[in-house]
Amino acid sequence: MSRKRDPGPIGWTWRWLLFVVAALILNLPVVFTVFTSFKTNADINASPPVWLFAPTLQHYAEVLTTPTLNFPRYLMNSFVLAAAGTAIALVLAVPAAYAIVRMKFGGGTIVPIVLMLRTLPLVIFAIPFYFMFQWLGLLDTRLGLSIIAAIINLPFALLFAIAMVRDLPYEIEEAARVDGAGIGMLLWRIVIPLGRPMLISIAILSFIYAWNEFLFGLILTTRSATPVTVGATLFATSFGIRWGPTSAAMVLSLLPPMLVGLVCFRYLTRALTAGAIKG
Amino acid sequence: MHRRREAWWLIAPLAIFMVVWLGFPFLSNLYYSLSDVTFETLSSPTLTGFGNFADAAGSAAFWQSLWFSLRFAVIATTAQIIIALTLAIALRPLLERYRFLLAVLILPLMISPALMGIMYKLMLNEFVGVVPQYLALFGLYPNLLGPDWVVTVVIAIEVLQWTPFALLLLLTALQAIPEELLDAAYVDGAKPRDQVRRIVLPLMGPAIAITAFIRFIDSFRVFDHIYVLTGGGPGTLTTSSSIFIYRAFFQQGRLGFAIASSLILMAFSLLLLWATMRYVLKGART
Repeated sequence: MSRKRDPGPIGWTWRWLLFVVAALILNLPVVFTVFTSFKTNADINASPPVWLFAPTLQHYAEVLTTPTLNFPRYLMNSFVLAAAGTAIALVLAVPAAYAIVRMKFGGGTIVPIVLMLRTLPLVIFAIPFYFMFQWLGLLDTRLGLSIIAAIINLPFALLFAIAMVRDLPYEIEEAARVDGAGIGMLLWRIVIPLGRPMLISIAILSFIYAWNEFLFGLILTTRSATPVTVGATLFATSFGIRWGPTSAAMVLSLLPPMLVGLVCFRYLTRALTAGAIKG
Repeated sequence: MHRRREAWWLIAPLAIFMVVWLGFPFLSNLYYSLSDVTFETLSSPTLTGFGNFADAAGSAAFWQSLWFSLRFAVIATTAQIIIALTLAIALRPLLERYRFLLAVLILPLMISPALMGIMYKLMLNEFVGVVPQYLALFGLYPNLLGPDWVVTVVIAIEVLQWTPFALLLLLTALQAIPEELLDAAYVDGAKPRDQVRRIVLPLMGPAIAITAFIRFIDSFRVFDHIYVLTGGGPGTLTTSSSIFIYRAFFQQGRLGFAIASSLILMAFSLLLLWATMRYVLKGART
């Protein structure tokens, strides 16, 4: 039936054209940055811009090996805080979601608070967190930023986990209960294995969000726990903006979340759309 | 009874985590907002009552930044929805046949907005950036980060980065419309334009409302790309509320004032949230 609505050759042609134009415009910043990162300084300054040139790795080498730049450390910081923030958020959200859905407990209080957290401007939390971190000695530590990442990820982690538990077949849990399985066993042996696709989706989205966070990284770190998003901006200024190394630093900073997102594209789109429908 | 205790155990870690990490900021905000305090007198602030709130509420710059954020969010959200809806309807056959093409289009939403800001700084740079150099070929020399263009530019960047998000959501909603409906309309001789207006748009109403809502709250709290690109300037032309409060606190050291401003912003956001939930999303929740 629906085959009748095939657009025909002309329809396909202008759709392809539209796609190419849209894809180019949306991705131009990334494309141009990648090109710039492989250019020699002379090619960077060429006018009009050159698109064909002999690529060089000098900027990458400089960014990764100059000790004063500290760039490998920034990369490591981002990995640690994104991974730890994701883990904390999942560990807190999944059991709570189970209690909220299956035991009808606490949802009425926690869900609205968590939703509010998602909608308020983050700068409202930034100032008190600065005080709190100062008193607790968490300023400029990876632990501190991991906690922040967890807080940022909790809203959607909890909402998705609630959706996940709701979709699980209750009969299996009941059967396990009758067989005498404790609550820990139930979560570990049934909820987590059955909910795995959704858990992966939550983890991927949470990793990307945490990695890309900027405001708290800017406020709560100075040197040793700085994430790459902030590190790359420091770069832009400390160099008096030398675009070669800055571009190389940016490419290195945006590669990990992009690779994760592309490799797990299916999970990512599921997470993003599920979030909108449920949230 | 046994079940109830189990539920407590399951929810306790999250509850404690939230009480600690949200309860403290709340109390500290309340206390400092009523105090005269600088970075030097953090541990011995003097209580001054509502002076900070009066300062913030009487600050033209504060309301200006709030107005900027609102305008920014409304314009950016509207543009994103219109472009995304057009792309979703036009490209649907293509994106359904070749699923991986969608990945190319949603690439920008995996990128940190702060990095996006620096990338545009590179693109717009007058010596090495593509945009000014190609415009120059046409004899155009606009100062894109100058007073005339800068607001348009920061809005455009927001739109270009987040239209893919709206596209993804709206495409999913579009695909949920039963094929039979469109086929029936086709058989009845409805033109494509009428199909869109009479069938697609009404059925997608809820999805459009939710997408717009999500994009609006995110655009309203904008900080990252503007901060790295313009720092809120030139002057205060692109100072959003988030940037205003950040500057008052970290660059000018007006702690009490910054906190009072952030609490007014919070009250305003909650009001906005409540109104949206009540009037816009009411019909959307099915």
